[in-house]
Amino acid sequence: MIPQLVTVRHRRPDGRWRRLYVPVLPVVLVLSPLLLLVVLGVLVACLAFRISLLGALRGTGHLLWALPGARFEIEDGRTAVLVSVR
Amino acid sequence: MNEQRRQVLQMLAEGKITADEAERLIDALEREQPASPPGTAPRAKPRPKYLRVVMNSEEHTGDGPSRVNVRVPLQLLRAGVRLTSLVPPQALARVNVKLHESGVPIDLTQLKPEHIEDLIEHLDDLTVDLDDPSAKVQVFCE
Repeated sequence: MIPQLVTVRHRRPDGRWRRLYVPVLPVVLVLSPLLLLVVLGVLVACLAFRISLLGALRGTGHLLWALPGARFEIEDGRTAVLVSVR
Repeated sequence: MNEQRRQVLQMLAEGKITADEAERLIDALEREQPASPPGTAPRAKPRPKYLRVVMNSEEHTGDGPSRVNVRVPLQLLRAGVRLTSLVPPQALARVNVKLHESGVPIDLTQLKPEHIEDLIEHLDDLTVDLDDPSAKVQVFCE
C-alpha cells in the first residue's frame, strides 16, 4: 500500500502546535504534470548513468510501498517536529 | 497479569519504588517464568516490523532537553538495500577510493545485496543501549 496520509506536526517555541495533514494521492494528482517532468529527468539520468530503468522503477516502488509506518519525532526544548507516514 | 507483576505495579503506583526499579523487577520476573509445559508447541516469536532509534539527551542546548524518536519499517531498509544494487560500479569504485583515503578500508563492490538482506534479517536480535550521564541512546527492533 502506498502512503495515504503524511502528518507533519510542529511545535513552535511558544508551545503552540501546528498540524499539517497531507493526503498523498490528491497531492500527487495535482502535481502530476510536474511529476511527468521528474520521470522524464529520471529516465534521462538512468540512460546517462547506465542504470537499469526497470530496476530503478521497481526500487522506487518498493520504497514507496514500505514507507507507511515510518515515524520521525525530533524534540529540542520547546520546539518539536513530528512526521508520520500512514 | 500475574500476581507478582501486579504487586510490582502496585508498589510503583504507591511510590514505594521508582520506575527503574519496577522495570528491573518485572524483567527479573520475566526471566524467572518457567518454560512452557512439555507437549505444547513453543509460541513463535513475532517478527519485528520496525527499527526504532530513541535518543534522550539531558543536555540543555537551549530551553530544554532534546529527544529523538525514529521508527523505520524494516521493509523500508530492505527496499533501500535493493536500491543500492543499482549504483553503477564506477561510482562504487570512486566511493571505495574516498573511503580508503578516509582510513576506512571497506570494499563496497564486495558487499552484495544478499549480505545486507541477511544483516537486516538478523536485526531483530539487535539491541544497542548507550548510556551516558547526559544522554541515552537505544536502538532496537519491535
